[in-house]
Amino acid sequence: MAVTDKMPELIGKSPLRVDVHGKVTGAAIYTDDIQFGKNLLYARVKRSPHPHALIKKIDTSKAEALPGVKVIVTGKDYPQRIGLYLKDKNIFATDRVRFVGEAVAGVAAVNEEIAEKACELIEVEYELLEPVFDSIYGASPDAPLIHPDMGDYEVANFIFPKPGTNISNHFKARKGDVDRAWKDCAAIVEKSFHIPQVQHVPIEPHIAIAKADDNGRVTLWASSQSPFAQRNLIAKTLGISESDMRVIAPYVGGGFGCKAGVTMEAMPVAIALKAKGHPVKMRFTREEEFYTNFVRQGLKIKLKVGCDKDGNLLAMENTMYWDGGASTEYGVNITRAGGYSSTGPFDIPNVKTDSMCVYTNHPIGGAYRGFGMSELHTGIGQVMDELAEKIGMDKVEFLKRNAIQGGDINVTGMKMHPIGLQECIDKVAKGINWGVKEKASSDNKLRGKGIAISWKAPAMPPNAGSSAFIEMNEDGTATVNVGGQEIGQGAFTVAAQIAAATIGLPMEDIRIAGPLDTQYSPYEWQTVASRLTWSMGNAVRFAAADARRKILEMVAEAWDEDVDDLDIINGIVVSYRSEKEMSLKNIVVYGIPKEDDQGWIGGPVVGQGSFMPSYVTGLDPETGQGPRAVVHYTTGAQGFDIEIDKDTGKIEILKAVTAFDVGRALNPELVKAQMEGGMMQGISSAIFEEIILEEGVMQNPSFVDYRIATTVDVPRVMETYFVEVPQDDGPFGARGIGEHPMTPTIAALGNAIYDATGIRLEGPPFLPEKVYLAMKDAGILD
Amino acid sequence: MLNPHPGLPEFTYVKPASLDEACGFLVDHAGEVRLISGGTDLLVRMRDKAFKPAYVVDIKGLEGTDVLAFDPKSGLRIGAAVPMNRVVAHPDVQKHYPLLAKAAKSVASYQLRNRATIVGNICNASPAGDTLGACLVLGGRLNIYGKDGERFEDLVTFFKGPGKTSLQPGEIVISISFPLPEKGAKGTYLKLGRNKLSDLAIVGVTVYGFPDKMIESGFRIKVALTSVAATPLMPPVVETVLSEKEITEDTIQKAANASMDACFPIDDVRGSARYRKEMVRNLTRNAITEVWGQLQSGTKNRLEANR
Amino acid sequence: MTSYHQITLKVNGETEVVNVPANMTMMVMLREELGLTGVKNGCAAGECGACTVLMNGEPVNSCMVLAAECDGAEVITIEGLSHNGQLIKLQEMLIAKGGVQCGFCTPGMLISAFALLKRNPDPSENEIREALIGNLCRCTGYVRIIDAVKASVEK
Repeated sequence: MAVTDKMPELIGKSPLRVDVHGKVTGAAIYTDDIQFGKNLLYARVKRSPHPHALIKKIDTSKAEALPGVKVIVTGKDYPQRIGLYLKDKNIFATDRVRFVGEAVAGVAAVNEEIAEKACELIEVEYELLEPVFDSIYGASPDAPLIHPDMGDYEVANFIFPKPGTNISNHFKARKGDVDRAWKDCAAIVEKSFHIPQVQHVPIEPHIAIAKADDNGRVTLWASSQSPFAQRNLIAKTLGISESDMRVIAPYVGGGFGCKAGVTMEAMPVAIALKAKGHPVKMRFTREEEFYTNFVRQGLKIKLKVGCDKDGNLLAMENTMYWDGGASTEYGVNITRAGGYSSTGPFDIPNVKTDSMCVYTNHPIGGAYRGFGMSELHTGIGQVMDELAEKIGMDKVEFLKRNAIQGGDINVTGMKMHPIGLQECIDKVAKGINWGVKEKASSDNKLRGKGIAISWKAPAMPPNAGSSAFIEMNEDGTATVNVGGQEIGQGAFTVAAQIAAATIGLPMEDIRIAGPLDTQYSPYEWQTVASRLTWSMGNAVRFAAADARRKILEMVAEAWDEDVDDLDIINGIVVSYRSEKEMSLKNIVVYGIPKEDDQGWIGGPVVGQGSFMPSYVTGLDPETGQGPRAVVHYTTGAQGFDIEIDKDTGKIEILKAVTAFDVGRALNPELVKAQMEGGMMQGISSAIFEEIILEEGVMQNPSFVDYRIATTVDVPRVMETYFVEVPQDDGPFGARGIGEHPMTPTIAALGNAIYDATGIRLEGPPFLPEKVYLAMKDAGILD
Repeated sequence: MLNPHPGLPEFTYVKPASLDEACGFLVDHAGEVRLISGGTDLLVRMRDKAFKPAYVVDIKGLEGTDVLAFDPKSGLRIGAAVPMNRVVAHPDVQKHYPLLAKAAKSVASYQLRNRATIVGNICNASPAGDTLGACLVLGGRLNIYGKDGERFEDLVTFFKGPGKTSLQPGEIVISISFPLPEKGAKGTYLKLGRNKLSDLAIVGVTVYGFPDKMIESGFRIKVALTSVAATPLMPPVVETVLSEKEITEDTIQKAANASMDACFPIDDVRGSARYRKEMVRNLTRNAITEVWGQLQSGTKNRLEANR
Repeated sequence: MTSYHQITLKVNGETEVVNVPANMTMMVMLREELGLTGVKNGCAAGECGACTVLMNGEPVNSCMVLAAECDGAEVITIEGLSHNGQLIKLQEMLIAKGGVQCGFCTPGMLISAFALLKRNPDPSENEIREALIGNLCRCTGYVRIIDAVKASVEK
């Protein structure tokens, strides 16, 4: 085998990103930048003003009569359901609406204003139904059913809905015997937390353009993390064969999960099918972005944890009611992930977990960076903090004592692989100077420190696959074809880096084929789950190894040498035995001529690779136990040193430190950039963000009242560290990192607030008002 | 707003050549016109379907709207079309009216301040307007043009309610002027937002004080509160507390409490009434303390200079 | 009912003549009439800064300016910062420091930073942060962007 076992030089270096030139000059094309000509129609959506209602009648006659209107569709035209793990979503509402903002009709017209006006002219008669706005209430027998036909919905075999209720998934974990274990506990903490819904807030709002040819072929251009999933789901739902639908996905201006699965893309396709070949563009306003598409599920979590007199965790009972919103086609798996991760990265011998995904008449909960982990750890990280205090143990010592290690059997019965969590805790504790009680900068400030740990596994079906192929070019460069999307995380760069390192080319000689196009790009399940570096990376590595092998075999034959004596260094094939050299130029397409014009060796070199984990098993529906629940966990820690202003309740973060075990940092600067960005998104969602809902209506659907962190909100000092305990089947040992840096944030900040004030808030956002009034009510202000 | 227009609704854009033409247009189309200078409030409201003007009249370029001039005898004049950044950057504003610069600088973002104007902030009459407090305590006076010619109105009588002013149909504010600042005057604007900067004011406290021998305490201190009532408030009781006897930490606390008691904030998505009241008290205390400290060192400097 | 206006303006050094409806914003005009799609639409409400361009030398949110108000104006968009493929120092430093991820905030961010360095050639860290407050970024956490601006200061 020609692939060397030693670490290539490029791995662990930080070559510059391959996509940035166009991004800094404005030349990079995003979906709204594609020009479609005069034929383009614009679509707008008529939306439900009610959280829960039957649709009695839709009258589109006035809208149809408006000049410039070309197509109007409603749920009657498309009664089919769509969904990733559970088919519970309609493209346009059919018999009822289930959240404020749900699409009831779609209009395509010659411009956006006319489409908008037409929407205003559509008349809908509703009969109001009792709504559900709380996940615990929604799970109770008293609550009205939001999906009465849930029992008929197609569902993945690892999701367990409870027909006749609003519970669309109930994940159970039963390990050991909690009821017996409580007796042995020297200290027990019981606490509940509420984490409200938040939104991803990508700076680029959703946008998709669809065009249907009269031979039944559909093309969809979309700002998308998941071109293949969108193709497959939309095609299947509309009765089109997968290869008759083509999805083209240019650069994405931020995804964070909201552009995964099928979000709004089915709507322009549905409209385009009736638009006689016109391309139909649908783009969301920022306001629509906030509440009509995907948000992060809310969570009400009840925790009970206990430890023995030495501070060893003995038992945990974790009950989670996820506010899934009106559709949980994606959210059911978040519930599952919350379930199989329900202990956090702690070694607990007795566990009882019930993780329930509950329908409510709230915006739709979908994939959001962390996939349930931020919400879950908000509870876990804080009860552990309390338990440590209760047993009289230093909090970092408690974490180190109880942190799960390689070889431990986790909550689902899976044996943990080696991880570097201890080192992450040490780095964070050192970074915030843990153990030293430091003075506040003035009399009207309170100072505190908090730390939390977290873990996450890529949440995906057991057979989520990646593939890649590499074409060698005449000029000696290699074009890498992947299906993984560049959403800002650096996927294209890391693919180029892996290919360059494996083949033996410099970074500058790698091209990434883009934009993604399901017609030409190789299959990739989705760009989610922090899985690309690991999964797509493996596929790229195999494709590169394949291309390299083909090149070396060709040259070995030409030189009559052993393949094992040859290498490729900076695009030149070299022999360690004969010291011969040959450039890759031309030979990788035209082959090498035999001596004396006696024929040719080789030909166009194309390398192919594919990766799909083979070892993920199912879990028992009653106990959640199984040999291998997930592919691996990325673990880490985060800590904050903060000051709280006693006059206003404002939190100032003096220092933010985070450390994660990434297996191998293929590109250290990109890894750190993910940690900085993730931690900042975590801080923003912990302190400022909340989808404020009243009777199901979002009160703050704009940047004015849904504030996200700006340049001045960044902590004074931010430190990021990575630890490297290699992942056995990751490319060069790498594991994912994209989501993880925001998962311990709320808990760590909550712990810091507690340290500063003695107050533990029920949940984020830790707005100045919440913190101030809590301090006032606790009597700690003068 | 849940479902605004993706772009702007239809309207006719009018750029009159003169004030008379503008006022005439306003009168002829009363109720159907909105004025634009920076447009940073107007365009947002139009997208939100809150404003539906058939006509938008651009006042940029009209006589007197572009002036930004300081006269050492009469004071400062700021035209209605002068963007906030120009005001903030002007050396005479920084020297003689630093409070105004501070208040204007706290608005939104640098980009928005290149368009937003102080007069626009005033005419918009949002109770939360960042520059309103400063303009009030500095004794702002509006120069208003209407079909009957020019008139002047002190800012203190101008605000009638959220979005409501004393402007009559056909009237346009051309400029605002401020008298010369009092000798030794110091001021500050403390604004509470949800994040560190750039937010709207959940509560705004403006304090402005200067030595005044006619007053018992030796100083006249004006306090303006924004975002705590339907219009900006200048509660007389607060001034009284700070004038009737020597200013100490206790008087300041008393004044802060009086501020809190004088305001009636509402619960809204940005903050609760309870929190706002507490913040009025705390910020008033801090703002007066800050200004008081500056006044005292100012007095000390003057006394030393006069030795 | 909308009025139409023929405007003449300079964009990235080129004179343009455009016929615009009253309700077209400068952002839409630049993107759709003049094909300058480097100007990004993030909110159409003057909050995110993705649409920031220079108008008569000063950064503005082009979504908050009517196209009709641009008559006689001189506009620079992201496309006008570099010349003949030659990046300016800010662009190079943003790349070098790793301050670009999804890239959607990048054009507006660069215009704001460019304007800052023009009016304040040696800004403090606080001044940099305040100048960029109106440019929202969700990917980077801002640190590397601020570093890039610092590194672009001509000593």
